Amino acid sequence: MNFDRKDRTTRRDFVKHVAVGATTLVSAGPSGLIPADPNPAMPGNGQHEQDNVIEAASNFRELVGRVVKEKNIVSDPAVLEGYSRDCSFVAASMPLLLIRPETREEVQQVVRIANRSRMPLVPVSSGPPRFHGDTVPSQGEVVLDLARMNHVINIDTVNRCATIETGVTYGQLCAELKRSGLRLNIPLLPRSSKSVVASRLEREPTLIPKYQFDYIDPLLTLEVIYGTGDDFRTGSASGPGALETLKADKVNPWGPGSIDYCKFLSGAQGTMGLVTWAATKLEVSPSLQKIYFVPIKEADDLAAPLIKILRQRVADECLALNNVNLAAILAKNWPADYEEMKKSLPPWTIIVCVSGYARRPEERVSIYEKYLKDICADLGLRSQSILPGAEGKENAVLELLSGPWEKEPYWKLRHGGSCHDIFFLTTLSKVSSYIRILKKTAVKCRYQGEIGGYIQPMVQGRGCHCEFNLPCDQSDSKELAEVQRFFMDASKTLMSNGAFFSRPYGPWADPAYGRFTEGVNALRKLKNIFDPNNILNPGKLCF
Amino acid sequence: MDTLRDYKYTMESCNHCGQCRFILGPKMKGWEYAEVCPAYHRYKYDAYSGQGLINIAQELLEGTLNYEDDLLAHIYSCTTCGACDVNCKSVRDMEVLDTILALRVKCVEDGRGPMPQHKEYAGNVAARHNIYGRPHAQRSDWMFEGMRLSEGAATAYFVGCTTSYFYPDIARNTVKILQAGDVNFRLLKGEEHCCGAPLWRTGQREAAIKIAQQNLDTIRKLGIKTLITSCAECYGTFRGFYPRIAKPDFEVLHISEVVNRLLANGVLRPTGNVKMKVTYHDPCLLGRLSEPYVPWSGEIKPYGLHEPPKQWRRGTYGVYEAPRKVLRSIRGIQLVEMTRNEENAFCCGGGGGVPAAFPDFALSTARERIDEARSTGADAIVSSCPLCQSNLEKASGISGNGFRYLDFCELVAHAL
Amino acid sequence: MSLPRSIYKMFERVVGTEYISDRPHILAAYRHTSPQDGRKPASPDAVILPGNTEEVQAIVRICRRFGIKYNPVTSLLSVGMPPSDQLKVVLSLRRMNRVLEINEKDRYVVVEPAVRHVQLKPELMKRGLSYPVPSVGPSCSVMANFLAKGEHHNQHSTSRNNRYLLGYEWVMPTGEILRTGSLSNDAGWFCPDGPGPSLAGLVQRSNGVYTKAAIALDEWKGPRIMPAEGHTPSYKVRLPQDRHKVFIFKFPTLEKVRDVMVEMGKAEIGAAVLKFFYATAAVMFTVSANDFWNTWNSGLFQKELSKAVWVYLATRTPEEMAYEEGVMWDIVREMGGEEVDKSVRKIWEDNMDFFIIVSFLQRVLKLGGGWSPILHCESLPHSFEIAKTIPEFFNSFIDKGLVLNAPHNFQIIPIEYGHGAHIELLFFYDRFLPDAKMIPQELMKQSSEMDLRHQHYSPSPDKEQLYSNFQFWATKIRNAF
Repeated sequence: MNFDRKDRTTRRDFVKHVAVGATTLVSAGPSGLIPADPNPAMPGNGQHEQDNVIEAASNFRELVGRVVKEKNIVSDPAVLEGYSRDCSFVAASMPLLLIRPETREEVQQVVRIANRSRMPLVPVSSGPPRFHGDTVPSQGEVVLDLARMNHVINIDTVNRCATIETGVTYGQLCAELKRSGLRLNIPLLPRSSKSVVASRLEREPTLIPKYQFDYIDPLLTLEVIYGTGDDFRTGSASGPGALETLKADKVNPWGPGSIDYCKFLSGAQGTMGLVTWAATKLEVSPSLQKIYFVPIKEADDLAAPLIKILRQRVADECLALNNVNLAAILAKNWPADYEEMKKSLPPWTIIVCVSGYARRPEERVSIYEKYLKDICADLGLRSQSILPGAEGKENAVLELLSGPWEKEPYWKLRHGGSCHDIFFLTTLSKVSSYIRILKKTAVKCRYQGEIGGYIQPMVQGRGCHCEFNLPCDQSDSKELAEVQRFFMDASKTLMSNGAFFSRPYGPWADPAYGRFTEGVNALRKLKNIFDPNNILNPGKLCF
Repeated sequence: MDTLRDYKYTMESCNHCGQCRFILGPKMKGWEYAEVCPAYHRYKYDAYSGQGLINIAQELLEGTLNYEDDLLAHIYSCTTCGACDVNCKSVRDMEVLDTILALRVKCVEDGRGPMPQHKEYAGNVAARHNIYGRPHAQRSDWMFEGMRLSEGAATAYFVGCTTSYFYPDIARNTVKILQAGDVNFRLLKGEEHCCGAPLWRTGQREAAIKIAQQNLDTIRKLGIKTLITSCAECYGTFRGFYPRIAKPDFEVLHISEVVNRLLANGVLRPTGNVKMKVTYHDPCLLGRLSEPYVPWSGEIKPYGLHEPPKQWRRGTYGVYEAPRKVLRSIRGIQLVEMTRNEENAFCCGGGGGVPAAFPDFALSTARERIDEARSTGADAIVSSCPLCQSNLEKASGISGNGFRYLDFCELVAHAL
Repeated sequence: MSLPRSIYKMFERVVGTEYISDRPHILAAYRHTSPQDGRKPASPDAVILPGNTEEVQAIVRICRRFGIKYNPVTSLLSVGMPPSDQLKVVLSLRRMNRVLEINEKDRYVVVEPAVRHVQLKPELMKRGLSYPVPSVGPSCSVMANFLAKGEHHNQHSTSRNNRYLLGYEWVMPTGEILRTGSLSNDAGWFCPDGPGPSLAGLVQRSNGVYTKAAIALDEWKGPRIMPAEGHTPSYKVRLPQDRHKVFIFKFPTLEKVRDVMVEMGKAEIGAAVLKFFYATAAVMFTVSANDFWNTWNSGLFQKELSKAVWVYLATRTPEEMAYEEGVMWDIVREMGGEEVDKSVRKIWEDNMDFFIIVSFLQRVLKLGGGWSPILHCESLPHSFEIAKTIPEFFNSFIDKGLVLNAPHNFQIIPIEYGHGAHIELLFFYDRFLPDAKMIPQELMKQSSEMDLRHQHYSPSPDKEQLYSNFQFWATKIRNAF
């Protein structure tokens, strides 16, 4: 497949094929298909090409202007600047244009236009700061910011799921859910402006592993606009008929048929299609909740209690934070409180919540806290309701775990305004080995900076998200270089030791796909089906 | 007697679930020793199984399959152990083993079967009343001085061909046990003919019926009401084949059942100490295939309703407990179980004419069984069938390490 | 049509002479007419028994080169090849039966295709672990169930099988080998997704050959060895009553049954909560067809089980059992339920293998024909909506005497504590009726029409234009691979 782009001026007519109440297929000619274009247009170098780019952009803008409100098409460099970079090491690049659609119809029309014009798009749905480089343009793309598609379409209290547009944020949804007796299984302290749908699509780990049955969970059904401009609904949202008349509750994520289309969109960084709305699971809010802390001195001791706690499904929230991260989250006055807390907190703290629900909550809590106590005692550890090293902060932790981070700056940015995260998946039994590898690499690189640590068991404890946060001052070039050196070296070393970078953002993509030849071929086959002209976030992953 | 056509319902009912090849769910123990069909275990193809054979039977009946070169060998590469039959019957109302046996009858009637090695059986039986062709006069050579026989007793000890000619100690030990239990019994001596098992199970039904009839006539003539045997093949044949010829008017008991009764009544008390860990091998025709056959003829109505109701032989009431109770009663014996035991016992490889026609297959089956026995940590494998003994001893000898085979009667006699 | 000798020899060079056959009597096992729908598969031209992934790959490449269709099988429960003039072979994977790894800490097991439930389940029970076992029965392939997204009785506290499928090794139709997810980086078997977009969405049993798969494991709270007593066919499998209990409650309406399931899901109690088939229960727990009729004609099962909920509580301690039982009774009483006849409950107490491993599908066919073509997976309320409409098409079949009079013979099993559900209608028919094979076809057709009328979620390839034209994409994907 040739992803190089060349100038294209060919016009295409298209006939819209609409089945009764069905989603739409965009087709050209009797075959009903837009043939894959081996030579899609690409803005290139040189004056001639630059003129072509300007003309293409202008044409594109004019066409988009017919389907999107004028106020939602932005070319102001001051605004575009905000989309040209993020906190990652991905090189900054100005987008050509910013479009803010308000409806799924607008999204579809824009994609169709982009497809015809071979105009690359970069989808964004979360507010800043962004961290992973997946939303940074690289080739003068048009940014499609879906933040204005922020309707909470439905909260289903019987089936415990919420259907939301892509622009709905954690801040918005968590607040709305407070009234319903239900809660989201959320990641650790997501930004308030973070898109829930994007978070689910990117398989971000969540705090309550017992509710997660695979890595796609809790994402359910969704609607996607493929790079072809066709729309598609997955699972039991697919039909029969139009979305408005669906009788199904949209909770079966699989299919339709024997292929699980939702999986192709997960971890895809918007390269396969643009999701306009999704259904995601909700859980019952506990009527009684108690929080416990298990101080851990040696990283080698982290895995055993977590393995048992997860195997026995003792806990709701279950995670581990090192002193750096926990202090960064809890410190009131910066940096005095932070430094003090960092010293007084144990190297690692496992945080576990035990819950009771509507009926006999005290009984449940009593039984499960005993299980927790016994598990810890068997291992020579102690679960306690006091947070050692930060006594009095227990309720604050409980409160923090229940929603997004609301304050400014974001907790990861408290050190110096920026943060680079190394994260990957592994199994609980291997966590301590990776902590050791990271420490050794830090010594080798003479890295003197802070390293935040976050261990999040996933999928009932069968997998684990390992995250190491490297805060830094983005404006300090020396410090940045040091962080970057360490970041790259550590990533490479971890990867070569079997850490699974399942979400290969930015510089991780090449090494992640380097040895995955058959997989890359397969992914490109899919890409060629869903986005044959490679207009969606080109250059990301292996595309 | 039923022909292959009478088993159409069975043949058409198979939905290839595979239960005929694997141990039953409630008896599962692990990855090892989970397959119950010796042929499937050895040859790997699905056609080597209860399912495969009844599929073949159906096609042969319908004419869609012809007698090709190796078809006969395939049909006879089955020990007729009945594991498939009993497993299928745990979930369905089908007669898998009877279909396989009827298939063999068809092969014989069509002039194609049995295997050349089996054809000798019929001739030997006709001429000398035993399948081995040994002189009939030597049938009772095993007898010994001091035997106390009660001529005219209503109980008879049926020795069997293999015991008489090859494993005389089994007979001697059986007699010792019966004498110790004050059982009044007689022998049939020259009037004992082959029970007919090898003929029955190789499809030579007419010959089997003939020899069986001779035995039935003798039993009736002598007024025998209880027949005791120490051979599982004989036992299963008297219980499973003879009722197809005539309604039985005598009880058939295996020596293990007799000993168990005598122990329960306090007549026998084993006093000897046999310090040994053993595992018991359930012979097919003493275990799962030992229930009495009750002829049925009727109609299979919609939804499988059999009218009149049919008495099925599902292996529920096989002779499993009696030998085990007896073994446990012997001081010093520690009885351990194999994974495939009781109704799911793995065949020794000695039945269905397989040792004669396919000695390698018979041996590999026996080796599998010895392997399983050894895996229990036992010092010896115990069973109560001379055919099992023959095959298991051969396998044990060949595989080395001298894993012992002990006959049930030998152990009991020793303990007394 | 038989396999050309030259091609036969190529296959033979891969697996050896012992493991390939084109003998008609060997192939008879693969072309037997299915009793439930009267369908006779076309005979394959050969059967090949590969022993490892490399042999599978070589075979697939040969097939691709010469345009030979192949059908990988392990158990033959649903073997079937469309009649075709093309050359076709069966790949029997029965030699590939190793358990490659049991990782107790990280809770997964790696198996080859021919590992059967009856082998794997007890190995895991010994280690205090378990995985969802669909009701296909002990002799069926573990991997095939997971590839086919099997359903099972314990979905209430777990999920559908496909959630439990982890990394896998796939010989693609092109002959390339794909190892997805964490295997891509030699990181192990624990994650099927990534890097980036998940290729696990491609998993379909009938696409290429899957040669290894990892299955996720849960804790098993029961005894380490299957506690079976007695002999076939009436084993008793009882679990320690202080930590394993089964209850069956009947309710006045199906709505109450639904509400109970919703509430038990919210309370997160119960290892299994389901509404089971009542006629199938009578088939399963009787020994012969005649016994079934005696039981069925007594009317007990119809009276007790047509609107019933089964609850299996499995806990670690008696205290936890007391808690879960207390919550269960709170919910049942709120919903107006009562326990069924003690004799019915006793059946399940004596047959707790119902929740462990059970020969369901085999027993279902005891009466002759009978299958369950009508499967849906959506929400609990939607499943009960579907259940309400079953009489619309089903009753006419009963009235004509074409199927057993069992209008409530459907099961509904919640998934993931009520986040979804599975409904399945099972009917019994006499296959010796004239045109009996039309019965399942006609039933499925009418069920499908009913679904359309009521807009139930039930995607089928011939209605794909109503389901986001999924066949358009499925065809593209199939052609690409």
